[in-house]
Amino acid sequence: MKSVSARRARLLGAAAALAATALVLAGCASGNSGSSSKTITIGTTDKITSLDPAGAYDNGSFAVMTQVYPFLFDTPYGSPDVKPDIAESGTFTDPNTFEVKLKTGLKFANGHKLTSSDVKFTFDRQLKIADPNGPSSLLGNLASVTTPDDTTVDFHLKTANDQTFEQVLSSPAGPIVDEQVFSADKVTPDDDIVKGEAFAGQYKITSYKVNQLIQYQAFSGYKGLLAPAKTKTIDVKYYANASNLKLDVQKGAVDVAYRSLAATDIASLRKDKNVKVVDGPGGEIRYIVFNFDTMPFGAKTADADAKKALAVRQAVADVVDRQAIATQVFKDTYTPLYSYVPDGLTGATKSLETMYGDGKGGPDVDKAKATLAAAGITGKVKLNIQFTTDHYGPSSQDEYDLIVDQLNKSGLFTATDDSTEYVQYSKDRVNDVYPEYQLGWFPDYSDADNYLTPFFSKDNFVANHYDDAEVQKLITEEIGTTDSDARTKLIEEIQDKVAAELPTLPLLQGSQVAVVGKDVKGATLDASFKFRYATLSK
Amino acid sequence: MSTASVLAQPRKRSLLRRLPIVAQLNQSVGVQRFMLLTGVIITSVYVLVAIFADVIAPYSYSALSGADGRNFGSQQPPGAAHLWGTTVGGLDVFSRTIYGARTALIVVVVAVVLSMVIGVLLGLLSGYFGGPLDRVLVVICDAIYAFPSLLLAIVISIMISGGQSTFWSGILSAAFSITVVYVPQYFRVVRAEVVRVKAEAFVESAKVIGARHSRILFRHVLRNSIRTLPLIITLNATEAFETLAGLGFLGFGIAPSAAGEWGYDLQKALADVTSGIWWTALFPGLAIVFLALGISLMGESLNDLADPRLRRRQADAGESAVPAETVVEAQS
Amino acid sequence: MTTSVDTVPAPDAPASIQPSGTASRQGGGLIRYLIVRFLLIFPTIFILVTLVFFLMRATGDPITAAQGGHVPPAQLKHLIHEAGYDRPLIVQYLQYLGQIARGDFGTTFTDHQKVTTVLLTYGSATLELAFYALIVAFLVGIPLGLLAAYIRDRWGDAVLRILAVLFYATPVFFSGLLLKLIFASWLDVLPVAGRASTSVELEMQLLPHPTGIYLIDAFRTGDPAAVPDVLEHAVLPAVALGLLTAGVFLRLVRTNVIGTFNTQYVDAARSRGVGEFRLVTKHAYKPALIPIITVIGLQIALLLGGAVLTETTFEWKGLGFQLNAYLGSRDFVAVQGIVALLAVIVAVVNFIVDVIAALIDPRVRF
Repeated sequence: MKSVSARRARLLGAAAALAATALVLAGCASGNSGSSSKTITIGTTDKITSLDPAGAYDNGSFAVMTQVYPFLFDTPYGSPDVKPDIAESGTFTDPNTFEVKLKTGLKFANGHKLTSSDVKFTFDRQLKIADPNGPSSLLGNLASVTTPDDTTVDFHLKTANDQTFEQVLSSPAGPIVDEQVFSADKVTPDDDIVKGEAFAGQYKITSYKVNQLIQYQAFSGYKGLLAPAKTKTIDVKYYANASNLKLDVQKGAVDVAYRSLAATDIASLRKDKNVKVVDGPGGEIRYIVFNFDTMPFGAKTADADAKKALAVRQAVADVVDRQAIATQVFKDTYTPLYSYVPDGLTGATKSLETMYGDGKGGPDVDKAKATLAAAGITGKVKLNIQFTTDHYGPSSQDEYDLIVDQLNKSGLFTATDDSTEYVQYSKDRVNDVYPEYQLGWFPDYSDADNYLTPFFSKDNFVANHYDDAEVQKLITEEIGTTDSDARTKLIEEIQDKVAAELPTLPLLQGSQVAVVGKDVKGATLDASFKFRYATLSK
Repeated sequence: MSTASVLAQPRKRSLLRRLPIVAQLNQSVGVQRFMLLTGVIITSVYVLVAIFADVIAPYSYSALSGADGRNFGSQQPPGAAHLWGTTVGGLDVFSRTIYGARTALIVVVVAVVLSMVIGVLLGLLSGYFGGPLDRVLVVICDAIYAFPSLLLAIVISIMISGGQSTFWSGILSAAFSITVVYVPQYFRVVRAEVVRVKAEAFVESAKVIGARHSRILFRHVLRNSIRTLPLIITLNATEAFETLAGLGFLGFGIAPSAAGEWGYDLQKALADVTSGIWWTALFPGLAIVFLALGISLMGESLNDLADPRLRRRQADAGESAVPAETVVEAQS
Repeated sequence: MTTSVDTVPAPDAPASIQPSGTASRQGGGLIRYLIVRFLLIFPTIFILVTLVFFLMRATGDPITAAQGGHVPPAQLKHLIHEAGYDRPLIVQYLQYLGQIARGDFGTTFTDHQKVTTVLLTYGSATLELAFYALIVAFLVGIPLGLLAAYIRDRWGDAVLRILAVLFYATPVFFSGLLLKLIFASWLDVLPVAGRASTSVELEMQLLPHPTGIYLIDAFRTGDPAAVPDVLEHAVLPAVALGLLTAGVFLRLVRTNVIGTFNTQYVDAARSRGVGEFRLVTKHAYKPALIPIITVIGLQIALLLGGAVLTETTFEWKGLGFQLNAYLGSRDFVAVQGIVALLAVIVAVVNFIVDVIAALIDPRVRF
């Protein structure tokens, strides 16, 4: 026995020694496998749920879909508004029918023809599959799709003149897929999609390992709205850890780092001569929700008083110092947000800037004091603000600690904050467990309505018991108003009305930040909130 | 000098000398004594820091501003106002590191007491009585031992706290998960010893003279079985606070508004380090390493002293035989 | 004083050196012991699978995790109902058992992958890392352990033992951070993270049937730069993880080698006039090997399951890393699948370890 085990040990030892030598050698031969100038490597901390548009409703998956699938409508570079992409035109032929004419001769990368039948297939399967991870909820207004001919698609809508429908077609629910590759009633596995080359966007995927590495090649058959890709090959590397991505972009191992570097890293990269930091407007917003039932003086509390509750909300709005949070916690990668629709979108106002605080965006404790006194509130108001640490970025803790600090320093509140892990948080917040709590929002498409309907219409996802008939009426009106100037006016009016009631308190708006190597050109971050690889070159 | 005091004197000393650790310190010599002493000193420093954290730390673990009401500012380098600088969130690194010792030691105490009590009891009963209960327990312990402890800790932390990052939920999730993982280890060791000791003459004779089970268990078997425990205890202790730090590092730990916690600080410092801000990671990191070092040195030394093969006997211990080690050294 | 197997490694490796003691003392034939020990694998796996099933259900559901911030409450409830997560637990549990009995581990919720695919892809990564880490552990732990035994109770010994403690007591996320800073950032001789450079990784992805073990795949590409590239990426994670185990090995080798000095076997060699150095490297270490082998077995199990922090620090996308990610999104299917695999591996390794112990020392088979 002993000799056997000893021999085995010796063998193991020899193998170990060999491998170790190899390790050491490898360490010396620091092979800098340089990519050819035709290839750009992008690093990201995004995560992909699925390549199938019916199976994913998250930024990471949509970032890929944006590159490889065509849309009927899409946002041109530099604009928040949509234009026909692979469509020729789109018009309301009657209030409940939106007719889209496709361009002719469209093809997928695998050679299959792209016709109205594929479009119908795309939306039918979205509605049929209705995957819990999928975006089918965006198609709530879609009743059915018909195809009079090969290049015409009629969308039959439940609500008349839906002005957001073009935007919906550019959203995560909108990528057009190949009916010969995708399954009609199931989410199609990523590998089948890649193998089937069911792509018709600016790029096609040529090599795919989920959440690790994707290689894209420019697709010459793309005939849509956007200019063809400038760089033939794009490699995208997926990181789990933002600090690794930061080190790699600094070393030049990746050319572009997009989403999401830590604020500290971005601040330090701004000083680095080897990289450029590209900023763009961001659609992400961060805000505090007040539960109208359980907040201080809320409808279901012992001392319910709607006036006092409003005064509390207004006083909080007077006291928070957004700029301080943006600078200290986020190193100015976020900017103060003074309305519900973020800056950069058509119809955005700054309603809260003039209504609350010192009128110039800063805090005003005296005003808050006066507001509370006027409502008859004496003594400090107790606030327990809830937030979650693992969904809205790692800085939530610092953000809310600072808010609590600001509230307490005003002398008007005794504020505390507590954090809860996201899944439990999602359950608790809709069950009225939290009187005041954090939420964030990333838009589905770049239309102001995406910041209004989901929040303030009936049965919204916030579920904070805010229910204002007038605001709802205005929202319904806004959606169906075809005249764009009149619609913008309505959107502005809604924001002013909501700002007076403060069901939620907008805090910050995120900017998009990409870090690129100094020789990389063309990184475009605009109000479409889509980062297209096609504009990049070096 | 009265007779009473003369009598009391040696007895007192012997009591002191019989205390754990002190006894071993007296027993040890040379390098072994040095290592044990180092371990004891480091660990005691941590205990003292934990107890007097309020006195030592200039600020609270959650303070964003000092007495003057002005914010510290984030990522301030070490200086007069902030001995070890401030974190990205604008907290004082020194104060948080000091308070971290308190959190760590509470976890250690809770975890060790829980695991030891449960593990030793189960091991005693299982080994002493044997039978089907013994078999079932052995299989369950085998299985649980296979579960990765950190992941177990994450799941438990979500379960017991509903994901709330409060002080006690963080402490208890780390402590409970460590308990779950370590109970099988105490269980195995104690059970094995019990099985061995049970067969020995003095237990047999106790049985013969009709001593009760409980008496045999606790008087004879337990006392002989727990010799092997110091090392497990220290491993258990180390792993307890390192699991807490791991939880903090993965974002499931204790919120900074609830307590100082090193793992959380380290996680927040990740981005700092790559940006040349070294002070936010270094101090909590070193705090973890030194506490682990202190406890482990103590445990290893105690273990060596308990193991006759590894012990270097003291010259005055009255052993006439020359220890084998000495012979070996002379030859080399 | 008892010797060798049963007492020595117990503190470091409490699991399984003691066999599970089910075979009766009297009928202790080797074959019978092996059979009983083999059959014990199954309840072990069953217990773990059950444990993880109920633990996971107690923590929330994947649909809330994915959609909680998007969808109105009523719709969310509907989705949960559709997925069947609101049925009685026992029903779900029996259904799950039925599934795995048929060998169907399901498809992950969050990334629509077959669990078997996930296990293969990420398991191979973890296996590779564990292999490298073991090499580091051997190369550092065993020689230093022998050295420490040789110079025991001198100051050099103390330094080595403190080193051992530092190795296994430093959390890997801290040591990993330091290693990255020094070697990747300041000295810039090693890559920051990941398993290979982008170009090499692409070459390997294009292979007909990639094994997922990058070292093998790198050889298969035929690209002379690929193998060094892959190994280069392995250095830091292997060192960070390997040193943890190296510390344990160092201790273990030292303790056991010193222990065997006193045995008759070594005494005999010594009396034949064998030199002291040779005694350590040649004679004393042989009996010391037995507990070491058992501990290696256990370390393999630990390396597979416990590498979460290393994998996270170094972007080494393996099972531990992935398990943590799935846990975050409450992907029941994925977590259950991975834990079941870990359970199988650990149970089998424990079995092998016990068999080796039984073969070496008949007294073990009680």
